[in-house]
Amino acid sequence: MLKEMLSEPFMQRALILALLMGPFCALMGVFVTARKLSFFSETLAHSSLTGVALGFWWGLSDPTFTQILFSVFIAFGVIWLKENTKLLTDAIMAVVLSGSVAAGVVILSLMKGYRGELHRYLFGDILATGSVQVVAGGIIVVLGTLFLFSKMRSLTLLTLNEELAKVSGVRVRGLNYIFLLFLTLTVAFSVQLLGIILVTSLLVVPAAAGRNLAHNLRQHLILGVCIGFFSSGLGVILSYYFDLPCGPVMALTSIVFFILSVLASLVLKVFKRSN
Amino acid sequence: MTCHKHKGETAVEAEGISVRLGGKLVLKSIDLCIHKGEAIALIGPNGAGKTTLLKALLGLLPLETGRVSILGAKSASDVANRIGYVPQRLFADPSFALSVREFLALNQKGVVWPWFSRKKVDLVLEKIAEEIGISGLLSRAVSELSGGQFQRVMIAFALLKEPEILFMDEPTSGVDAPGEESFYAMVGEIHRKRHLTVVLVSHDLSMVYKHASRVYALNREICCQGVPEEILKGENLERIFGQELSCYHHHHCHGEKSIESEERKKGGQEVC
Repeated sequence: MLKEMLSEPFMQRALILALLMGPFCALMGVFVTARKLSFFSETLAHSSLTGVALGFWWGLSDPTFTQILFSVFIAFGVIWLKENTKLLTDAIMAVVLSGSVAAGVVILSLMKGYRGELHRYLFGDILATGSVQVVAGGIIVVLGTLFLFSKMRSLTLLTLNEELAKVSGVRVRGLNYIFLLFLTLTVAFSVQLLGIILVTSLLVVPAAAGRNLAHNLRQHLILGVCIGFFSSGLGVILSYYFDLPCGPVMALTSIVFFILSVLASLVLKVFKRSN
Repeated sequence: MTCHKHKGETAVEAEGISVRLGGKLVLKSIDLCIHKGEAIALIGPNGAGKTTLLKALLGLLPLETGRVSILGAKSASDVANRIGYVPQRLFADPSFALSVREFLALNQKGVVWPWFSRKKVDLVLEKIAEEIGISGLLSRAVSELSGGQFQRVMIAFALLKEPEILFMDEPTSGVDAPGEESFYAMVGEIHRKRHLTVVLVSHDLSMVYKHASRVYALNREICCQGVPEEILKGENLERIFGQELSCYHHHHCHGEKSIESEERKKGGQEVC
């Protein structure tokens, strides 16, 4: 059955993309969760709906470009509002999220015949990915991984405390912008695979599952990447076997890993106490 | 020029610095000169701008006027690897699994990516951990440490770079009294052994009296500066803090004294 699945070109592409994006998102997710950027990722994902709607409005057959561009605009808009108003980030993101989703839905509603596309972007369609998307995903993963590993020291200090990082010689502002740019690209790209609603599961759930079992950052990174790899790959395979939508199955698989990690950490705690 | 060259090499110099936060002038025309090897304490009431001054010196806050020079450089970021910083109590998020060993390895000289060369990293870390008394904490998560343990880890973190100046911002806030005393004894020992310049913001006047070589009293501007014996007198304290205060001198030194207290003893001034 696996042979049969892998003989289908669309399944090959889906599996490759899942195995690339799953571990990379988990790697990003370790810093996203520790820096409390989960809601920021959610906001970026939801705001990309307006980018998609604008792309269709302007007559583009593939709105990926406008989607990514609008997500970058929103990311820097949130940062600008944070730096120039007295509002908490939480409130800014709530405003941006509701505003961009409403704008996206209104623009799509004004155009007849785009209901199917709306569904595709809400829930994702990894099986519809072409070779170009696989290559684009590969480029994001390679560049993003290089960035994360080359800046691991600075990012770790920044995650712990911004002032300490600054005094230690980290160029905080630049590093923040580059990290958020990669996060925006990752979220915007992953929306096409898992959809606006489920995309943060790829970023947050494997990293959170890894944290349940890790005793240090190195373990957290390794466990997060492994869980991201196996939950994404297994999700694609299970969706093929049971003929279910791929995105939700990938999300559910990572949730199963999360539940297992919670149970395992509880068992380890009891075992440690009894010893 | 605020500093006179004949008094020794300059570590930190500030000339006419003013800082405005949220439209309010928090620091006004501060002149300050710290020589190499000194242990300087910044004291003053709440809201006097002590932390703001420290952050302004470190380049963490923009100056409205004036200039700062640290180890001859125009900005602290230019000499970041020669500066150690111990901030007020940090709250590490439990969702971040950073261990003490990993945290310390981040600041080790000559190590690009700390988790690749573990043997080299471990040797140096274990030596400094022993010196600071945190050997038993290396495997613990940073987020699990108590206030006192965390501040000791912060000192070890700062010392790994072998800094020339150590900036500390109320390093014992949230630490109990015995912990505070042993912390300052350790800082005094480090200052003496390593010939560091120490710049410290503190509320604890008795610790300042015991460990500082010079005191800057601050209340948005420099009220006065000098040796602790002069500055921490009743009339000065009343002027600085706006109420009558006296300095409580700890009478249990645990056999540890900073270089300054020993020097003062030689000069006939008993501290403890």
